Amino acid sequence: MVLAGCEERLSTVHPAGPAADTIATLWWVMLAGAAAIFLLVMVLLVLAFRKGEGPSGDDADKRRETLWIKGLGLGFTMTVLAALTAWGLSIGERLLPRPGPDVVAVGAEGRQWAWRFSYPDLPGRTTENVLHIPARRPVDVRITSADVIHSFWVPRLAGKLDAIPGHVNVLRLEAWEPGEYAGVSAEFSGAGYRTHRFTVVAHDAAAWNAFLTGELP
Amino acid sequence: MTDKPRMTALRLHKALYPIWRNDPGWKGVLTTVNNNTIGNMFIIGATGMFLAGGILAMLIRAQLASPRSAFMGPEIYNQIFTMHGTIMMFLFAIPFFEALTVFLLPGMLGTRDLAFPRLSSYGFWCYMIGSTIMIVALLAGVAPDGGWFMYPPLSSTAFSSGINADIWLLGISFIEISAIGAAIEVVVTVLRYRAVGMSLDKLPIFAWYMLVVAVMILTAFPPMILGSLILELERAFDMPFFQAEHGGDSLLWQHLFWLFGHPEVYIIFLPAAGVISMVLPVMARTTLLGYGWVVAAAISLAVLSFGLWVHHMFTTGIPHMGLAFFSAVSTLVAVPTGVQIFAWIGTLWKGRPEMHLPMLWILGFFVTFVMGGLTGVMVAMVPFDWQAHDSYFIVAHLHYVLIGGYVFPMIAGIYYWLPVLTGRKRFFRMGEVAFWLVMAGFHGTFLLLHWAGLLGMRRRIDVVEAGSGWELINLLASISGFVLAIGFGLVILDVAVNAFVAVRGRRNPWNAGTLEWATPIPGPAYNVASIPVVNSRYPLHDNPDLPVQIARGEGFLGEPVRNRRETLAVSVARGEPEFISVFPNNTIVPFVMAVVTSVMFMAPVFKWYSLMFIAAGGVTVLALVWAWANGSRRDEGLLDAGRGVFLPPHTEVAYPPGWWGSLFLLLADSVLFGSLLFGYAFLWTVAPNWPPPRILQTGIPGPVLALAGAALASGGIRLADRAIRAQGQPWPGLLASLAGLAALVAAAGTVFAGTTYNAHAYDATLWVIAGYVVFHAGIAGLMVLFLLGRIGAGYISSRRFGDARVVRLWIDYAVLAALIGLGGAWLPGVLS
Amino acid sequence: MTDMLRISIPLTVWIAAFSAVYGLQGIICSDLWRTAGLTTGQGRIALIVLGVAAVALQVAMQVLLRRPRFASPLPWVQRVATILAYVALVATLWSFLPVVSTSLCL
Repeated sequence: MVLAGCEERLSTVHPAGPAADTIATLWWVMLAGAAAIFLLVMVLLVLAFRKGEGPSGDDADKRRETLWIKGLGLGFTMTVLAALTAWGLSIGERLLPRPGPDVVAVGAEGRQWAWRFSYPDLPGRTTENVLHIPARRPVDVRITSADVIHSFWVPRLAGKLDAIPGHVNVLRLEAWEPGEYAGVSAEFSGAGYRTHRFTVVAHDAAAWNAFLTGELP
Repeated sequence: MTDKPRMTALRLHKALYPIWRNDPGWKGVLTTVNNNTIGNMFIIGATGMFLAGGILAMLIRAQLASPRSAFMGPEIYNQIFTMHGTIMMFLFAIPFFEALTVFLLPGMLGTRDLAFPRLSSYGFWCYMIGSTIMIVALLAGVAPDGGWFMYPPLSSTAFSSGINADIWLLGISFIEISAIGAAIEVVVTVLRYRAVGMSLDKLPIFAWYMLVVAVMILTAFPPMILGSLILELERAFDMPFFQAEHGGDSLLWQHLFWLFGHPEVYIIFLPAAGVISMVLPVMARTTLLGYGWVVAAAISLAVLSFGLWVHHMFTTGIPHMGLAFFSAVSTLVAVPTGVQIFAWIGTLWKGRPEMHLPMLWILGFFVTFVMGGLTGVMVAMVPFDWQAHDSYFIVAHLHYVLIGGYVFPMIAGIYYWLPVLTGRKRFFRMGEVAFWLVMAGFHGTFLLLHWAGLLGMRRRIDVVEAGSGWELINLLASISGFVLAIGFGLVILDVAVNAFVAVRGRRNPWNAGTLEWATPIPGPAYNVASIPVVNSRYPLHDNPDLPVQIARGEGFLGEPVRNRRETLAVSVARGEPEFISVFPNNTIVPFVMAVVTSVMFMAPVFKWYSLMFIAAGGVTVLALVWAWANGSRRDEGLLDAGRGVFLPPHTEVAYPPGWWGSLFLLLADSVLFGSLLFGYAFLWTVAPNWPPPRILQTGIPGPVLALAGAALASGGIRLADRAIRAQGQPWPGLLASLAGLAALVAAAGTVFAGTTYNAHAYDATLWVIAGYVVFHAGIAGLMVLFLLGRIGAGYISSRRFGDARVVRLWIDYAVLAALIGLGGAWLPGVLS
Repeated sequence: MTDMLRISIPLTVWIAAFSAVYGLQGIICSDLWRTAGLTTGQGRIALIVLGVAAVALQVAMQVLLRRPRFASPLPWVQRVATILAYVALVATLWSFLPVVSTSLCL
């Protein structure tokens, strides 16, 4: 069993599955890019306070508009943002719950303040606040709500997806290793919101088979 | 007035002052319609709300300082954070820039007051009364507790049975009257009430920003007002708009709320950007680089901001292509923001920046807002938002944007426009001390909270649990939070000391070029002694003597010969003089109407519906009294406007100010109606449990009544209009109009008759659509009766037919709404 | 006021087209589309047609804005209107790119 340190139980930057890993990479790259842009802007700002005034007149202003507004304001920002948008969308595409032979489906129904999980492969079986999944296999969690809006979030495995009354949303999860992963509801739901938690237990192949045959309590 | 020596500045002041001054004593507070007085009270009120919201923030930080420091249970804590968000967004941020605008705009534009002075007063009192109600609710322990975006079903009766949610829905809607009112004023003022020669390219940049913001308010607030209305209808009468089992959908609320909520962020940022665009060039002893580009950027930002509301809903299960549209626009909106940032830095490079206190705050803005903008681009990425959404990363991001992008520039603006600042001996350089406390406190509080969010700290949890890994970050945030609070406290103290104690400074200490510096501040009640003529964006740089010339009455309307409050209205594009607008005198009506309106909004909280209807009747009567007071019973012809120009009074133009105000009010109204139709289509396509079990049968009478009514109503008012101008009999046309409006009401009645209001979200929606039609036909009908009364009392003549044009506009709108709304209601029946 | 319209129309057309495309995408992914007997593939074609029409409309406005009949008499307004028309064109292209690059109903 791989257990992260207690303090990293809910950490998005300690991924334990491919979706969370992809998003963590996106974050670190964006952080580096943002830091570079921030530094650039700050340097430009500080340099503005250097001694002396630039040339004046309409021609000088025209040149400044070309540099500052067309060059930096339009050219620079649009280049960076176009690249980032395209990358962000392609990552989003990769994380979608596409059909596949290997995919396991489970159900998750949120209510104030508990989760009930169901297993189409094991009709009739439900678990409260503990979701069993196989490790190393893509899992589609079909999420809905019995009362108010909740959100299903296992930060180390994937992003969150809302549980909305009357709708079923599908989230793709995968755990690299067997183990326990902390989950929380991430949409404010009233007085018991803070303690609206659950656990995801990822099993190795043998334990998962045991679960499916009803041998696991 | 006959040939006489030019007035001296003092004599002109003595002539103008009695005309424009407030009533003496406390009565003056209630009856004032003056923009300076109302602006001042508004600023103080909004600052008070900032303090209230700040105190709640301190309670939050005390609660979250450590695992052991929690002293509130979730029932109280939920009220505290809900009210912190609500107060800061609705009772501080928006009102504060409105207040600043009410105060500054007439001076900047070189005119005497805002376009609708009584509306300033009404809006202000609605705000003050509404805010007081919210604070009282908080102290009484019945404040809203569902988070500031009030998602149903949590805010529906089943899960929030108390009056808490009703107070939010009705209280905030009531307060939004002040936002809509101020927006109408600002649009009409910027478009029509300016110095002569101030064409669109010579507007002070702040006026451009406020014009953009005001149009945004008119188009962004209505969806939320509609949302509040239908959620309240669900709570009160069980009309199931948001209940999935009856064809409703809680996502509809999210769409309506964020359709308002995201533009709102830019509604808050753009005024701050306007302040920076005014202050920064002066601090750099130069002019703004790329004025036209900045105007284009502000307009682009405004429109683009209406195409990214779904980025607050990335985790609601909308298909990826749907999310992708909004992700793309969310990054695109950063481009005009970048253009402004670089235009400002370019302006600094162009000039010779000097480090005064306003400049210090603007630098604080750059550091903070750029970081907030960059994290904003991060959360525009759909996959990243799936992790960051509803975590402290978002809390940190939004505080970087709102405090860095709004509060810091506003403080810069306050220091900039408080010219008494320079006239006093500095005491401990309190302003600078406060600045550094705020900067250290702010980043100490919020920088590491980004990280707490990435470590899984959800927003709105009431305790930081031991062993979570966020304890240290939260302790630091709480300590820094108190430093931040002390810093803001010092700023307020510093400004107060400046305002009340300091020695008067000289006029225009910054050597700025715009017109608000042409009058002594605090400005006299009439703002400008005469309406100046300007030839550039910086008239005071062209002509340093302009203030003296204005004071001597050398501009337009420099001789108050008619002994009434007059100002000049100009053409939209070129700023050429067009007519003389006569402003109302001091009056208690707006205050009384605000009080009665508050009863109308608050009665339903306690389900006192008869009281609500009585109050609504009172509001109607007061509105008629209000409208009646405006006008003239005689033709005045062309009047001397000074400088050899003769102009008609506003009563004798085809499209008087009231028509312009109506036009923009109807713009907001049409957005509300459009949101309603959007909701109808949305429920039909997305909501579960559709199609409804029973669909309204169209029949013959309904459509016939609607078409005939439309023709009669619109045709009748046109006949009447023509008759008035030809000095004929307007009665037949007006009666035809009334009959037509009655037919529209009857047509809407067939919709009520064919549906059951609480059976299904479909029925409920149709009831609201039909109700909308009845409401507007009713307003138009009242206006026709009002017009009949005005004709009888001699207010209407072949020259004075502006009132008829206003009525025509409202009738046409009612007709259009009826045809579209009822058509939409009947369409499914026709198709099936 | 005409000048205000010149300034605001291209971007208003963008937001209208944007809403239309988003609405159409919602309809395509709803039961209405399926009960009408249409496929997702046909849905994508409809979206592309709508997107191309929106781009064509923006290009048309670019051309019209330069015609003496529709151009502003004030050079400054004309310049700002031109910039904003470009913004609307870029916004149309930028925001409609997902039509051809992302999954329709997943």
